[in-house]
Amino acid sequence: MAMIDIRVKILRYQPGQDAKPRWQVFAVKVEDESTILDVLNEIHWQHDGTLAYRRSCRSSICGSCAMKVNGRNVLACETPIHRFGTKLKIEPLSGFEIIKDLVVDLDPFFEKLKRIKPYLIVDRPMPDKEFVQSPQQLEQIGESTLCILCAACSAACPSSWPNSDYLGPAALLKAYRFVFDSRDDGADDRLEIVNDKNGVWRCHTIFNCMEACPKKIKITEYLSRLKLKVVENSL
Amino acid sequence: MNKDFKQTSRSGSLAWLLQRISAVILFILLLLHFVTYHFLGKGQAVDYHWVVSKAGNWWFPLLQFAFLLTALYHGLNGVWSVLEDYTSSRSWRLLWYSLLLTVGVVLLFVGTLTIIKLYTLQAA
Repeated sequence: MAMIDIRVKILRYQPGQDAKPRWQVFAVKVEDESTILDVLNEIHWQHDGTLAYRRSCRSSICGSCAMKVNGRNVLACETPIHRFGTKLKIEPLSGFEIIKDLVVDLDPFFEKLKRIKPYLIVDRPMPDKEFVQSPQQLEQIGESTLCILCAACSAACPSSWPNSDYLGPAALLKAYRFVFDSRDDGADDRLEIVNDKNGVWRCHTIFNCMEACPKKIKITEYLSRLKLKVVENSL
Repeated sequence: MNKDFKQTSRSGSLAWLLQRISAVILFILLLLHFVTYHFLGKGQAVDYHWVVSKAGNWWFPLLQFAFLLTALYHGLNGVWSVLEDYTSSRSWRLLWYSLLLTVGVVLLFVGTLTIIKLYTLQAA
């Protein structure tokens, strides 16, 4: 482990102070095995205490620290700086309103998630014990349940940028996760919600969401399956 | 940013399905085009005279018209799909839709005229 000098350019925005976001450059000395979050902590603790960013678990499970680094959406806590070299350019996620510095307003993101009813809907009689699910049935939704709602996918989706009404990949993935869950009875309802101009049909299989997903979920593939299911259901 | 999800009346499922179907048809037509134009020609140069010499066959206008119709639908439907990302107001959507429809009708008319002209040229 060695100490290295890096140059960090951060998009800053202080409400009530800045008319629009501005760039600020920091020269920082950090360990070469540091993560992006370590760098931000170093700046926050040693250089400028006013720098705002979200962080919580440091284990890439809470989804709080998604941000754009050198043009790519990543989780700051799990991304080592050596992936980008000694020059870092850090910005908040695209397509969201900036509250302060790297903190964006995620309310619209969660509102869209709520819209697709992200919970198990059961209309059948409850079993005596648990719902039995075969390994094949579990496999169909297994990967899609790994989503940590970090919003990296929705922020990377070009269809989301010009159209704030588009549900976005995260909400649609959640819809897939329940529609294809053998224990769920709310598929018809959800398929009607996503079968909309601002729903699954705004997805043009660009694959940006898949590239941005820190959990490497094959989002585009699942959204394609969801589209087929909608068509099957409406025929 | 709008925090409410605006549900619109038209879904888009039919346009999506037809885009896939037209893509498959285009692929088959493209194969037929290669076979008829490039493999059956046995090394002959595909120029104006070659096209005119084939234009009198029954399959020629059929293949060309199918190509014209499918490519126009697939292309314009694709452009409309992208335009929909950027236009939310009803009047802009109507304007773009009318424009694409006009382009489609004009190109279909010109293309059909060309196919008929080639076919009748050979027949005469």
